[in-house]
Parts: sequence; C-alpha cells; structure tokens
Amino acid sequence: MSHIHLPDGVIPPFWWITGLILCLALLWIFAGRIKKDEVRRKIPFAGVIGALMLIFMSVPLGILPVHLNLAVLCGILAGPGLGFVAVFAVNTILALIGHGGFTVIGLNTLLMGGEAILGYYIFRAASGRLGSASSAVTANILALLLSTVLMILIVGTSVGLGEALLPHDHTHESVHAGEDHIDDRENNSESHSGEIKDARFLFLTGWTAVIAVILAGILLESLVTGLIVSFFSKVRPDLLKPAAEG
Amino acid sequence: MHIAAIDHMANNGDSFLHNARPITKVSMALLFLVSLIVTNHIFKALILLAIPIALILLSRVNVREILHLAAYPLVFSILFALIRIQQSWVAGLLVMTKALGAALNMLLLIATTPYTDLFGIFSYVLPGPIIDVFIFTYRSLFILLDKLENMMKSIRLRGGFHPVRILFNLKNTAGALGVMTIHAFDMSERLYRIYSLRGYKGKIPLSREWEPLKPVDGFLLLFSLIVLTGVFIPWNI
Repeated sequence: MSHIHLPDGVIPPFWWITGLILCLALLWIFAGRIKKDEVRRKIPFAGVIGALMLIFMSVPLGILPVHLNLAVLCGILAGPGLGFVAVFAVNTILALIGHGGFTVIGLNTLLMGGEAILGYYIFRAASGRLGSASSAVTANILALLLSTVLMILIVGTSVGLGEALLPHDHTHESVHAGEDHIDDRENNSESHSGEIKDARFLFLTGWTAVIAVILAGILLESLVTGLIVSFFSKVRPDLLKPAAEG
Repeated sequence: MHIAAIDHMANNGDSFLHNARPITKVSMALLFLVSLIVTNHIFKALILLAIPIALILLSRVNVREILHLAAYPLVFSILFALIRIQQSWVAGLLVMTKALGAALNMLLLIATTPYTDLFGIFSYVLPGPIIDVFIFTYRSLFILLDKLENMMKSIRLRGGFHPVRILFNLKNTAGALGVMTIHAFDMSERLYRIYSLRGYKGKIPLSREWEPLKPVDGFLLLFSLIVLTGVFIPWNI
C-alpha cells in the first residue's frame, strides 16, 4: 500500500539522504543478527518472499488505483529483520526497472519495512487472544494505517500535502526558463484544502475520495493477508510459528 | 513482468556498454543520476535525457521493452508535472525530463549489466547476507512467475474465476497465492539444503576480483565526469 511512487528529483535531498542513511543503518543491524544459525537458514526464504512480493505487486486490483505489497505477510513469515531485508531487495529491484526513484529506495524501505516489523509484532501479540486470520487482519490494518500516515507526513512535509495524495494546482509563478534555481517550496505551507477538493474516485470527490481509496486499499490487502494466513493455518500451521527475530 | 526481457538483454547483448566493466557502468549511472538531481536548468536536463537515449540506441538493447518500462515513471512524473505547470511550463517539463532521464539511466544500467555483476558491485557496500537475499529474490522470481501463470490458468479452466463474483475470485486468488507461498517455502528449504551441501555459510561468493579497466571504461568515466562538471558550470544559455 504505502509505496512512494515518486520519480527521482521530486523529494528534496535532505529527506531521501536521511532515509537512505537510516535504512542502511537498519540493514547493517539486521545483517549482524542473520549470522545466527537459525536465522541464516531463512535467508533463501527471505529471497523467495521478496520474489513473491514482486509478483503480488503485479496483481491488478481492478478499479482501485493501488497494488498489493503484502509486506506484513512477509514480516509474519520471515521475521522482522529478514522481512526488512527482503523489502529492501524488492525496492532496489523495482527502482532498477524504473518503478519508483532510485533515490527513494531508503524511504520506501523504511515505510514498507516498517509495515513488516510492526505487522510481525502485532501479529505475535494478537495471536495469543485471536485466531491466526483475525490476528493477521488486525496486524495488517494497524501496520498499514500507521505506514500510510507516515507516508503522507513524509511526502506532505517534503513536497506538499496535496502531492502526497493526489495532484492539484498551484498558482504562484516562481520558475522561469533559464533560471538555475527553482523556488517551488514557497507555497507548500499554504492550505491545500481547495486542491484536494478536485480529487475524484468513482462518485466520490475531495477528501472523501482520497480516504475511500486509502481505506479500500488497506481493507483489501488485509483481507487477502487474512485469507492467505487462514489457508496456512489449515495446511501448513508450522509456517506461522514465531519466526526467529533476525 | 519485464525482468526476464531485461535479463536476456543484459546477458546476451554485445555492445561497447555490455563489454565495459560493471564498476564503470555503476559509477556512470550514479554520476548521471547526481547530475540529473542537481540540475534545475531545462536545457541541461534535456541534454541529460538525450545521453541515456543515445546510449540505449548505441547499446542495441530492445528499445521497445525499455520504452515500455520508462512509461511508468513518466506517467507518475506527469502528475507532478501538472502541479508544476501551474507555476510555469518549464518547471513541469523539468520534472518529467528529470524523472524520465533518471529512469532511462537505471534501465540502461540494468539492461547492459548482468544481475550477478550488479549485485557483485553492491557487495562492496552491503553486508553479505543482504546480497544473498538479492540473489535468491532474483533467482526465484522467474521460477515463481512460471508457477503463478500455470496456477492462474488452472483456476480459470476449472471455473474458479467468475467475472462478477468478486469475493469468490478473491478467495480463490488468495488460495492460489497461499499455495504459491507454500511452494516458495519448500523451494527455499531445498535451495538452502543445496547451498549448504556446497558449503554455504551465509554468504554466496561473488566475483570481486579487480580487473583492469579497458579504454572504453576510461572513456565512459571521463565522459560522465565531464557531464557532471558541465552541470555545475553556469552556462549563459
């Protein structure tokens, strides 16, 4: 769900450099944990899960302008550390084929990897009280809500709140041909409420449309995750046993 | 999925770019990317867009596939370009040029460099287990894609897909994805056993021997540095 589809050159360097540094720091920490034997056994699985995520992303969802990520499922199955590493591999491969900018790999990994980590812990906490499928749905909804809010905050703070959600228009003239400097941040602090009004989805408009798309995406992904986990609990319950925290 | 086509181009292509050292191509891609990010001048950005286009044509890769993949970032950049066009049409064009240039730059790299060489370069800066995840991801992608294709065909043939019954479809699709995940899990265990027999201890050895640069590498690196320098020079245009 919360995958930043921004091309290179849109997010200011401060944000993507910070994202990249944080992401690499986390990768080094998780790589250190992988040295444990029981976690090392899961490296091929993390790779295979990464491949599955790439495939799931290519599944069209009809009229909904979003795609499945299944990062939470990845976290539940591979564990938080390997889940994060798999997400990084997925984002890098996607960036190499032009799906999302190369510079936003760090931010994308932090968001999607955050879903995997958070999803894992919520699933573990909830599975003691609820069934596997309900726990997976709960974990998915909570993790996706949080990462979507974070995505909107990151893109909204760096580019502008309207841009974080849907296209809109500015009226301030600040760029001229031949200038080496573009001052396009001036209007970002201005109200975007009028611009969001133009957003449309089916018969809905404005913020209602934006929120409807986000919620529908989250619910759909949660439902698919719940169904997959429910299927696992019937045929391979061992897959849902707590993954080593690599 | 265009990854198979890209893989074919990278492994079977024969051009001066295919023959250049991977380290040269990665350095060139990064230098062009930096050039594109720092430039806010439309003419410079257009030149930076023209360079990967020229190199793609010279490297004789499948232009149709590359254009297909480049369309994706172009579409997303149009959203942002429309916002910027309200400020000035140049700003809108700049957003699209930079996005397309950066995407073509990356596509040029992946279409002329086999993935093992590329991951070998990544291994200079990333820990071994992470590179292993990259390799396993890439390797299993093609196998799983084949499986998914066959599985979806079977579901349709056995009446598991109905154009109107969305929940029914969703349940069957989730079941298919579940079966595939179990296949994937079994495959990963088999992979681990095979690699363990070959002495795998959490790091697949990739060729990282330093090979001397060829004249074409020197030319490409010099060209990239000239381009980057050119971006910083305030030309009177």
